[in-house]
Amino acid sequence: MGALGHFLEREGIPTAGISLVREHTEIVRPPRALWVTFDLGRPLGKPDDAPFQTRVLRAALALLERTDGPLLVDYPEAVEGEVDLSGWACPISLAPRPSDTLGAEVARLATWYDRAVAARGRTTVGTSGLDMPAAAALVSGALDGALPPAQPLKLAVDDLRAFYLEAASAFPDPGTTKTRVAWFWDETLLAKALLRLQPKLAASDDGQHKVLANLTLIPATQRHRLGGST
Amino acid sequence: MVRRLSELPEVEAKHLGTDRIKCPTYDDTPLLSGTPLAQRRVAIVSTAGLHRRGDRAFDRDDGSYRVIPAETPASDLVMSHVSVNFDRTGFQQDHNVVFPIDRLRELVADGTVGSMASVHYSFMGAFPVDAALPHAKHLAGLLKADKVDAALLVPV
Repeated sequence: MGALGHFLEREGIPTAGISLVREHTEIVRPPRALWVTFDLGRPLGKPDDAPFQTRVLRAALALLERTDGPLLVDYPEAVEGEVDLSGWACPISLAPRPSDTLGAEVARLATWYDRAVAARGRTTVGTSGLDMPAAAALVSGALDGALPPAQPLKLAVDDLRAFYLEAASAFPDPGTTKTRVAWFWDETLLAKALLRLQPKLAASDDGQHKVLANLTLIPATQRHRLGGST
Repeated sequence: MVRRLSELPEVEAKHLGTDRIKCPTYDDTPLLSGTPLAQRRVAIVSTAGLHRRGDRAFDRDDGSYRVIPAETPASDLVMSHVSVNFDRTGFQQDHNVVFPIDRLRELVADGTVGSMASVHYSFMGAFPVDAALPHAKHLAGLLKADKVDAALLVPV
């Protein structure tokens, strides 16, 4: 992000940016940066909190009027941690059933996904161009047969992940984002499929499959679930 | 919450550490002066790998950008960033937590900001610097053509 500040400013466009990782910004030294302590993925801090987002935005834009940089200013507000729901249990039974399949799990979630979309008026599913049964079939086929090319497989997986987490947000007792992510990795067939798929991708002769296996399939915080396979 | 890397759990600190992520360095930092914010025309330049549904998805080491016209409905915004190491549920809940276009529009309406660009842009972060440079130069020309004189850089 900081490199873009250098590029654009040199080309005549003043810039001000948000920094999520202070140590990176200290090295890159872009023209103007507001360091925030929010979670990666949430540069404006809080979803559905317009006043909070506006305060962050005002603080970042205010840096534009300064030329005494490079500026790296600490934003004073933090996002408080979510309520601890460590005892939370998913209210929708997704426990695998005899002869269960990934496709069946996707079908069970569809009604909750539809409710989430209706409530928000939007979905972030849709980068792969596949519907979810087709995306699930692509993942199942990758497990059971020949691996498809890495990019369409990656987009299908990301769409499925978004579909699951959006669906879970519409459960009667949705918990918190952290409990829903834990649910995804602890309880779903999709997560189990991804963990099984990883070593197969890693063993592929295709370099793009290896990248997917080693970097962009399983988050760093979940790789311990791979056991000794990495 | 991300604090200093030294305060993060080991696995996250290691993932974000400057041993693993090689940040570019520069001998100096340009800083342009400009008019007061109330007279500026502001564009959002995201690195969240955002684009309109149906646009070409980002791929690894992709240094190019996607175009997001200001009138793009939130329902058409999707994200194809290749990284799996940041939260996406915030974006799923509210696009403004990543791409604060509604907040910027409000600041224009109340006179804090002069105007908003007709088009915004998104790269996918963690691009190789050399891959992004020609696209960023081209982008600067597009911003000037839209009379933009301030870019808000938003990471993910």
